[in-house]
Amino acid sequence: MTAIARRNAKTWRKLGKKAVPYLLVLPVALYYAAFWLRPVLISVINSFTSDAGRFTLENFSLVLREESFLPALRNTTVFVVFSVTLEFLGALSLALLINRKFKGAGFFLFLAMIPMALPAAAVGAMWITGFTAHGWINSLLQYVGLLAEGGKIYWLVGSHAKLMTLMIIIDAWQVIPSVMIILLAGLQNIPPEVQEAGYVFGGNYRQVLRKITLPLLAPTIQTAMILRLISAIQVWLIVVLILGYSRMPFLVERVVYYTKEVDLLYIANEMAGGYTMIVAIVVSLAALFYLRVSGAFKRARE
Amino acid sequence: MTRRKPVNLAKAARTTTFYILVVGVAAAMLLPVYFIVSLSFLSVREAYSYPLPLVPALETHFKLTPGKRGYLVSVYDRIEGAYESVLDTKELQKMSEYMRYQLATPVTIEDLEQQVARLETEDEVYFTRRRNLLANYQTFFGVAGYNAVPALIRSLQICALTIVISLSIGGMAGYAFARYVFKGKDLLKFSVLFVRMYPGVAIALPMIKILANMNFYDRPIGLSLVYSIGNIALTVWITASIFMGIPESLEEAAQVFGASKARAFLRITLPLALPGLAAAAMYAFLGAWNETVAAIILTTFNPTFSVVVFQTVLGSVGQVNLAAAGGMAMALPAVIFTFFIRRYIHQMWGGVTV
Repeated sequence: MTAIARRNAKTWRKLGKKAVPYLLVLPVALYYAAFWLRPVLISVINSFTSDAGRFTLENFSLVLREESFLPALRNTTVFVVFSVTLEFLGALSLALLINRKFKGAGFFLFLAMIPMALPAAAVGAMWITGFTAHGWINSLLQYVGLLAEGGKIYWLVGSHAKLMTLMIIIDAWQVIPSVMIILLAGLQNIPPEVQEAGYVFGGNYRQVLRKITLPLLAPTIQTAMILRLISAIQVWLIVVLILGYSRMPFLVERVVYYTKEVDLLYIANEMAGGYTMIVAIVVSLAALFYLRVSGAFKRARE
Repeated sequence: MTRRKPVNLAKAARTTTFYILVVGVAAAMLLPVYFIVSLSFLSVREAYSYPLPLVPALETHFKLTPGKRGYLVSVYDRIEGAYESVLDTKELQKMSEYMRYQLATPVTIEDLEQQVARLETEDEVYFTRRRNLLANYQTFFGVAGYNAVPALIRSLQICALTIVISLSIGGMAGYAFARYVFKGKDLLKFSVLFVRMYPGVAIALPMIKILANMNFYDRPIGLSLVYSIGNIALTVWITASIFMGIPESLEEAAQVFGASKARAFLRITLPLALPGLAAAAMYAFLGAWNETVAAIILTTFNPTFSVVVFQTVLGSVGQVNLAAAGGMAMALPAVIFTFFIRRYIHQMWGGVTV
């Protein structure tokens, strides 16, 4: 074997070694290209093309002219703002309160995971049977004496604000424990010495919380909140299970409504496509806005 | 001499408040779960009584008296504390069916004949029969209209396929992530976020056409391809952290003793990573098992189990207890798997040490 051939073989082996990680990652890249990027591109292109195959904004103007578009946008916004805020504050205060080792902590954390593990359909079944007039919530109120015998509270009848509050509470019930687990994990990763140092230098609980604990917790809060934000904008299943279609329109609820409920309507495809694109834009904008406001870009650059 | 420690009142009060809080939170989380479990065991009659019984009855107390049309059947109502008449008929067949379906208490016709015969000599006949607690589940799975059993099988197929796809593809990338430095590592890490940023519905709609072209529409493989998108990203995260926890020196040591790289991986690293990989698999299972949105959009004649439960709940005006049973059948595997991977869920979010 000549020297050149030997050197060639060596470079090839070296190259081969370098290629190993790329070969290992290649299937993921191909998969994302085929089953994520491709549908994303198709849906973007579709929402801008007419039946004749030309560029058009007709789909969007159809959606904007629909009478339930503005209510859907409003409902989604109200829901996202209130539910994400409530869930964050609730989960953070719970995590701060529980952030210590105690007997039964492992079991408690498992219990906290149950609402998160429950399938949406099961959660829907749980609350629809609770909120009907002869449901378990009224029954329970009667047993503990808060409701007169035979008395009923009509939970699912009444003002828009009342129904929205119910939706936010149901969502919070399922989400707060899981956000709490994430925040708790972050809290327990903060070395106790850092907080102790804060106290040594004369800080009180609130100062230590504001100046030391929360800044250190920021990356965790950010991950948890961005995931929440993304899924809160896409809320629909629990609403449909409890109130049915169209009673309280949400953006994604409209998409499913036009794809599954009235799919034979002649403009169903256009409507679904338009709404889908609007949801995609809203989600991306919200996520970017949140990342900007929370200073993630700044941290990443540092 | 032993001296009793002085009781620190303030500390005791704080500890008590703390535990009250913990129990309160646990109760708030579990109360709705308790009620749906209880509801899934109630008979139709119980499920529509108000207030709902707190615990399902284990047996039904019957009273038989001569009725206008035949025999008057009364049932003991625990909340009212009295017998309430429910049916007046001469046909024992009808009586038995009523007891089986409305009261979830199987009573055979021969049995009823005997009880009716006793009416010849007595004015009132009392008898008690065991309730069939699983009646709602049997109806839910047994009635062909719900298609629960084929849907269940399909859902399990989808879960298995999703596990295979996301574990093989995601596991490889996770290993690369843990062991090598390469370009695009950050992109891979953040793929968990960006594949979720584009709404699931938005992916599902064009997927209808893509899957139809591949002849995968309305089939388990099609849905598992969709579910794997989000799951692969998660699997990369989980498996990367698992492989990072296994020192590379172990593999090197095996290679020193003459094993090839692949052999070292198969014989040393893989067995050590197995529990973690199992957790990743269960995570994928949970994701695929619970998913409803894409399943609704991407199935027509072959719904998944989650879609069947969704439809039962949606149309549950006449059958709350069945909806509860369906919801429970769905929730049980999810909760069991969560129990097994609870440690890994903590770990994934940065290691809650308990």
